[in-house]
Amino acid sequence: MSEIEIEIDGHLVKASQGDSIISIADREGIDVPRFCYHKKLSVAANCRMCLVDIEGVPKAQPACSTPAANGMKINTKNDKAKFAQKAVMEFLLINHPLDCPICDQGGECELQDVAMEYGSDVSKFNLGKRIVPDKGIGALIQTDMTRCIHCTRCVRFGAEVAGIVEMGGTGRGEGVKIEPFLTEGIQSELSGNMIDVCPVGALTSKPFRYEARTWQMNAVQSVARHDLVGSNIYTQSYRGKVKRVVARDNDSINETWISDRDRFSYEGLNHESRALKPKIKVDGEWQETDWQQALQFAVDGIKNNAINPDQLGVLASKHASLEEFYLMQKLARKFGSENIDFRLDQTQLSTGSSLESSINLSEIESVDHALIIGSYTRLEQPMINHRIRKATLDGASVNTMNSKNFDFNFKTKCDALTAPQKLLSALQSVLKAVHLKTNQDTPNDVSDVTPSEIHNIIADDLIASANGVIVLGEHLNSNPNSLAIINLIEKIASATNLKIANITISGNSHSAEKVNFIPSGNGLNAISMFNDNTKAFLLMDVDSEYDFIDSKSAQGHFSKEDVFVVALSSFENQSTLRSADVILPMASFYESSGTHINFDGLVQSYSASVKSPGESKPGWKIIKVMADLLDLQGLDYVDSTQVKEEALQSSKVKSSVDEANIQSIDDSQVTTHWQYAPYASDSVTRRAKALQESNVGMINRAYVSKMTAHKIGLSDDDLYLGVPVSIEESVAVDCVFIHTNQARRA
Amino acid sequence: MISNEAKKEIDFWVSKYPEGRKSSAVMQALTIVQKENGGSLNPDLINEVADYLEMPVISVQEVATFYENYNHKPVGKHVVRFCHNISCMLNGSDELISYLEDKLEVKTGQVSKDGLVSVKKVECLGACVGGPMCQIGDQYYEHLTKEKLDNILEDLT
Ligand code: SF4
Ligand code: FES
Ligand code: FES
Repeated sequence: MSEIEIEIDGHLVKASQGDSIISIADREGIDVPRFCYHKKLSVAANCRMCLVDIEGVPKAQPACSTPAANGMKINTKNDKAKFAQKAVMEFLLINHPLDCPICDQGGECELQDVAMEYGSDVSKFNLGKRIVPDKGIGALIQTDMTRCIHCTRCVRFGAEVAGIVEMGGTGRGEGVKIEPFLTEGIQSELSGNMIDVCPVGALTSKPFRYEARTWQMNAVQSVARHDLVGSNIYTQSYRGKVKRVVARDNDSINETWISDRDRFSYEGLNHESRALKPKIKVDGEWQETDWQQALQFAVDGIKNNAINPDQLGVLASKHASLEEFYLMQKLARKFGSENIDFRLDQTQLSTGSSLESSINLSEIESVDHALIIGSYTRLEQPMINHRIRKATLDGASVNTMNSKNFDFNFKTKCDALTAPQKLLSALQSVLKAVHLKTNQDTPNDVSDVTPSEIHNIIADDLIASANGVIVLGEHLNSNPNSLAIINLIEKIASATNLKIANITISGNSHSAEKVNFIPSGNGLNAISMFNDNTKAFLLMDVDSEYDFIDSKSAQGHFSKEDVFVVALSSFENQSTLRSADVILPMASFYESSGTHINFDGLVQSYSASVKSPGESKPGWKIIKVMADLLDLQGLDYVDSTQVKEEALQSSKVKSSVDEANIQSIDDSQVTTHWQYAPYASDSVTRRAKALQESNVGMINRAYVSKMTAHKIGLSDDDLYLGVPVSIEESVAVDCVFIHTNQARRA
Repeated sequence: MISNEAKKEIDFWVSKYPEGRKSSAVMQALTIVQKENGGSLNPDLINEVADYLEMPVISVQEVATFYENYNHKPVGKHVVRFCHNISCMLNGSDELISYLEDKLEVKTGQVSKDGLVSVKKVECLGACVGGPMCQIGDQYYEHLTKEKLDNILEDLT
């Protein structure tokens, strides 16, 4: 675009043809008042607050919708501009209530700020103010629509970013109301961003309601850890408690948005089941004790039970920090054990790290095609899904191979419904189709496959794509042939020259892989560890009821008389109380410093936002002291930065996917695919009240097709493994797809 | 439920717009559906129109609540659509509307006891020269006075 020069408030500035005046002013640090303009949304120009004077133009013009032209002389602060801005302000305040003292937005309200500068202390309008009844839009967002100024930012956010057209402006003139048609609540995994974009107190955070004033809170820059993205956030705390989480801009990661999970999960920190004191189990009874005793008890237990060092198993959830992973594995290895793992929810485990992604977050939005295999990206990795959606808005096509057709917020072109047990052969069929169409040599394992029609279509799209990506998601983890499947996907990607986005792992898994938090040599992994030899366990943030792919055998093993379990945990889970011997209360999210490595490999460190409650301590400190008591050398760090620096020196073990031996499965048998809903992802989120009460949080259904239901004798609303059944044609045959918050039972 | 005849009528309007622009026919669709339903719409019908035209239901609701020619409550056999915009107001529409309300013992938006007439205030109908004015069915009545109103009401059966 050609370069132009304009004058704005007396400064000569360069700009590109077509830039709006407001974007130039923002760049130059010139303050233009606005309500409806938002840099990430389309221009609506309906509030008229941004009126500025342009020399030679008789009337003031809206800065947000007026493109700059060469030689334009703009004045944002002269009498004409101010007069226009003040007049608009007066109109906006006709109906806006004067309830700032009881409004949660008070102190961070754009209207309040602008009114301070442009408002008049008397109004010419002494007629009654209008009142708008609230419909209510769910558990996360508090509505006070009397305060709405109809800027339509929330409406545009829904339609343009979240991909849900649920809010709209009904009525006309003074009767306009911003509301949804239904009152069932907003169905979006990104809905909380409406709170951030709303310039007034019409949409505020429901769980935060009346909790604190913004100026009383302490804001700390932090990083969200629920998914692979590591969205940038501020935690805001008051009297030592996190009261709210809001988005922090970072264009290459989360832009201006965060997922609801990142925004509202903090509520779980204050749950009544927090572990606050060290506890030990003596003769089957739990006793509170002090740290010194508890640690000694833990260390003695480990020494007595793991007579040989390789009898110790060390497991952590994927949400631990880089520092914690590093220290845990170092402790284990110094102790002499290679039994280390974080991949608790996978059916097949490789000896190396997972398949490397070959695309960046920000590149995803410019792909021309995406093939999604085994993922409901929208709920599982909302910010990555957002990038895929952006690509579709620019014309990219999306195909899927899932066991259910999900409600994506973009149109998919071709959905190849595939039951888990048939995914391997389906991918062989796609690979074969690719080979035939591109005249490549066919390897033996697919030589006698005949591609089906739908797999031909998928192959065609892959071949036609110049700049596409194959996304492999967490549904693959529970597949009995996941390694062979990932192998095949890699082959398909290289045969078609597509990039790979691996989102089978989540949370802070990249940190775990970075420091080799997986067994090497003869070490046992998260599946093989549950054998008769492993007698002592060190667990970090593990809830054996939820986290293991085979929770039954994990729980069974932990509960054995002669197995000693040390649980570092922020919560007193039922499962931990049942099977652990020591509970060492650990700081949770936002309560200790740490480091997250995201999808792009970006290393992001954060400091503690609040002190951890009760006597709980940061995980890395607990491990350090335990190492001391175990007489292990080389773990005497002064602070977590030192740990981090050392951790970052490690280099991960390359993925070695060729080892896959294919499990033969009878693919006419009905399989159950147990998939956690997004708010069951970790111990904190599972305890976040408002999230659990939201629409997404209440997902709890076993989906099955009519034919399959008939085959196994199910009908609508029956309970299947404790989950209510829905008969729908959107599910692959011979598959029951369970989407739920409940602990895994299959 | 939208009847098959109504759907055919809607299809006729849809066919007037380019492929993939079904939603352009939303106003006609609402009009047809409202007529079939005795002069008013309800949430179910709005949902059905949205489904039929493949639009988000809130977008249909936006249209249906913006224009005064859609009714969201049951109406009488005849709807007196009384203009209350500026020209008519300056010429005394307020007084005439109150007169009508008293005479029929209804408030605007309500239906008379016999179910024959309901009164609705509407925005400018583009007949400002003839204000105060109202519309009943397809007919405009201009330069209204109390006497004229009496006669008009008498003729409604
Ligand atoms: S609710 Fe807030 S964001 Fe939505 S239109 Fe009203 S003022 Fe704007
Ligand atoms: S910000 Fe320009 S009109 Fe609203
Ligand atoms: S103001 Fe009544 S018809 Fe125009």
